[in-house]
Amino acid sequence: MTDNARAEAVVLRGVSKFFGTFQALKNINLTVREGERIVVCGPSGSGKSTMIRCINRLEAHQEGSIHVLGTELGDDLKNIDAIRREVGMVFQQFNLFPHLTVLENCTLAPRLVLRMSEADAEKEAMRYLERVRIPEQAAKYPGQLSGGQQQRVAIARALCMTPRIMLFDEPTSALDPEMISEVLDVMVELANSGMTMICVTHEMGFARKVADRMVFMAEGEIVESNDPKSFFEQPKSERTKQFLSQILSH
Amino acid sequence: MSALAASTARYRHGMEPFATVLVRRMFATWHDAAISIVCLAFVIWLLPKLIGWAFLDAVWSAPNATPCIGGAGACWAVITARWRLIIFGLYPFDQHWRSGLACLAVVVVVVLSCVPALWRPVRLSLLWLGGFLTFYFLMRGGVFGLSLVGTERWGGMALTLFIFTAVAVLGMPMAIILALGRQSELPAIRWLAGLLIDTVRALPLLTVLFTAAVILPFALPDWLIGDKLYRVIYAFALFFACAQAEIIRGGLQAIHAGQLEAAKALGLGYWHRTWHIVLPQAFRNSLPATINQFVITFKETSIVIIIGFFEVLASGHAAYGTGDWTSAYAEVYVFIALIYFAFVFSLSRYGAHLEKRMRLGHD
Amino acid sequence: MMELTALLRSGRFRGWLYQTAVVSVACLILISFVVTARHNLVAQGITTGFDFLQRSTGWDIPFALISYTINDPYWRVFLIGFANTIFVGTLGLIFATLFGTFIGIARVARNPLLNALGTVYVEIFRNVPLILQGLLWYAILTRLPSPRQAISIWDSIFITNRGLYIPFVAMSHGTFLFIASVFVLAGFAIALLPRLAGIGTSRSGFRRLVRTALLTAAAIAVAAVIGARDPQAGLITIPMLKGLRFEGGLRVTPEFTALFVAIVCFGSAYVAEIVRGGLLSVNRGQLEAAGALGLRPFHVYWYVRIPLALRAIVPPMGNQFVWLMKATTIGIAFGFSDLFMITSTAINQSGQTIEILFIMMSGFLLINYVISTAMNALNRSIALKGYETKGT
Repeated sequence: MTDNARAEAVVLRGVSKFFGTFQALKNINLTVREGERIVVCGPSGSGKSTMIRCINRLEAHQEGSIHVLGTELGDDLKNIDAIRREVGMVFQQFNLFPHLTVLENCTLAPRLVLRMSEADAEKEAMRYLERVRIPEQAAKYPGQLSGGQQQRVAIARALCMTPRIMLFDEPTSALDPEMISEVLDVMVELANSGMTMICVTHEMGFARKVADRMVFMAEGEIVESNDPKSFFEQPKSERTKQFLSQILSH
Repeated sequence: MSALAASTARYRHGMEPFATVLVRRMFATWHDAAISIVCLAFVIWLLPKLIGWAFLDAVWSAPNATPCIGGAGACWAVITARWRLIIFGLYPFDQHWRSGLACLAVVVVVVLSCVPALWRPVRLSLLWLGGFLTFYFLMRGGVFGLSLVGTERWGGMALTLFIFTAVAVLGMPMAIILALGRQSELPAIRWLAGLLIDTVRALPLLTVLFTAAVILPFALPDWLIGDKLYRVIYAFALFFACAQAEIIRGGLQAIHAGQLEAAKALGLGYWHRTWHIVLPQAFRNSLPATINQFVITFKETSIVIIIGFFEVLASGHAAYGTGDWTSAYAEVYVFIALIYFAFVFSLSRYGAHLEKRMRLGHD
Repeated sequence: MMELTALLRSGRFRGWLYQTAVVSVACLILISFVVTARHNLVAQGITTGFDFLQRSTGWDIPFALISYTINDPYWRVFLIGFANTIFVGTLGLIFATLFGTFIGIARVARNPLLNALGTVYVEIFRNVPLILQGLLWYAILTRLPSPRQAISIWDSIFITNRGLYIPFVAMSHGTFLFIASVFVLAGFAIALLPRLAGIGTSRSGFRRLVRTALLTAAAIAVAAVIGARDPQAGLITIPMLKGLRFEGGLRVTPEFTALFVAIVCFGSAYVAEIVRGGLLSVNRGQLEAAGALGLRPFHVYWYVRIPLALRAIVPPMGNQFVWLMKATTIGIAFGFSDLFMITSTAINQSGQTIEILFIMMSGFLLINYVISTAMNALNRSIALKGYETKGT
């Protein structure tokens, strides 16, 4: 990997996050370069979701610094807006807007935030809906779609903002098993197109296929960070070995 | 007969003729039969009397109450003679058509509001604002060659409807602001909104209106005092807003937290999130309760009679209180009750229908 | 300059800015109200403060539970107004609840006739404004025959346009009613408190408590009747026509009756809907399970359906109680002297606008607070253990 020349997309330095007295993140250091695909895994409650939610400030960190595309994330509202425009996010529960059609879900933010005309926004949205292979559902409401279809719409909705970084927060955990692959296929394709991606997921097959780097977290700390081959074949720490044996054993 | 058997019996007899099922259910057990007989006796005793009073023995039209005196029936002649007074109050007689059209405009607005295709914030706001302005200019005149009629001459059903629409049009935005304030992340605003809402809700509407009508002039500089009618409407709107704010808050709390997060992650700012994501869902969640609140508010407009306005109850008093109709008070009250009933019953039926539909939609 | 823009863009700073702005505007409005009001009152020569409470009023009250003369001070009329509101409200609530529960049960009954009658009742009384109902009852009551042509039942109850005359224990009835209402309330409180505090949660223990409380209340009431009665008169006086009016017995004024009947009719229609909703909210599976255990329908109702329905009934019932209590203010339309009517008369007579408004609002806030606290406590105590809703 000769990515060191590429620009830094996300830099976390000494980031800590507390919920009351509970420390959810402990001194996290992580650098993601443009075009890099990071897969974050770890047992539940290990702080994976909290970490990526800090990157677009759905959660505020208390210590350390987070830089996204060179801009520091802090209390500055302009910076938060600017960063959220460049960072797309896909949620475990899809979080599509139930009162809007699929197409309206996709065009809302481009129209309001990027001030696109309705026609342009719709044209763009249709392009992305084709890319996630559900253009025929454009006029339906989210409640009328299957989970897998909803999650693909959610990906399209995020892409409509033409983000430079995509965050995935356990995108397949809420899906029925038979729908997981249709979502992963879209994600693989997205990864192949060169998008910077940070994915929290337990889909190790997906991780092997696309990840440039694996990050293993436990109890709010990054325990191990390595390329997938070494990560899966020669895990360094005991906890990683234990975790892998638990999730790969079936 | 156990509850289990009862519930299955309901389905088993589903295919039989309706009347058979009715009779079977009326006499299912000996105590059912006893209850049925008592009820039946009550109905047989009451119904002929009621029909006799309201229809058979009623006097339908007469120049004065003399033909009614001593009769066993209702004196509907008072309505035939005085209905214009009840509906239009002291509005100039030759201009009653304007008042009538204005009332019609409000009815049309209420009916149109029940059409789901219009349930968009912009469309509904425009509809109500349009209806309100139509009403206002038709009643007040002074434009399009209509003669000017001051609010002091407005009365009857028209005044009731005016207060109702004005309260709704002013109160709804206030309710939204108060509800958002109460859910605000800023503690001082949350606390202030909560204090206002809780205090106003703890007070009887009548005392709020009384304060606005009688006491507020003491506490306001002269240039702000304005017309008593408008002061009462503002106070009524505030009262409506505080109740409606709690309803909207219920709708807000039912929104999944992920909705806000998704909107934030897409880069939508506070106002965009509120207007496009939060409020539409909050309103949808609280629709049945909102309709109920409108129903209650419509009924409550009747208490402005105590503050001294010539709304439909007061004009009813005038209808039987003057001349020689004094014995026909019950007929006037029943007539006004029927007007209220028609509005309120249909609106609450619609609300119940909507609630049922929404519940089915969730399953 | 850079620092200023950075400050303006800071979320925390903006938060402070908005809050300071809103709070200042609110304070400003409030202060300007008070200043203008003071100015206007001073201009009218009215001294502010609560000294006027000791002055005698000089006007009469048509309906008072506590004895009253026109020489009594202002604080006493407010007490009377407060007592009147509580009295008619509490009586109205009790009867509306009992009657409404009965109709609510009728509304879910299998008997189609009972069902239909319940529906008609609810739709009629719920869809007509309360004040219209009150005015209609009042108009009917005041058009009854005059005392000389009174409708008499067994020569001891007389229905007239001046009110309803009934035989009663011989004592100043105002005092008696006040004492009785206090004791009834106390009885309920005694019965409910231990339950609310979590003691005696067993069904039989609760029953025993209720019984003890009611017996105690009855005993105290009997003692009060015997102790406070006029020694010259017999135990009970019966109304008798003396000239143009009745003497003896208890006179129930048409104002009170009209308000009471209106509250009960309107309130019971709403209570019926709440009870019906509660009964329908009980999972059919629970009832079928109870039936499958061989419980008779009445037992299924009493031991399974009603206890479970109660959880859905109590919260909206609390709101309804508060609403009905506040709705007693419409009595002013036909001259029932509740707290609001006394307030408006007192403002008219004394000019002490702000103080009297403050007293009235405190009165209603207190009533509101007591009802909602009691209902919340009740709600907590009947919550199904392990199924409490977490958070909000």
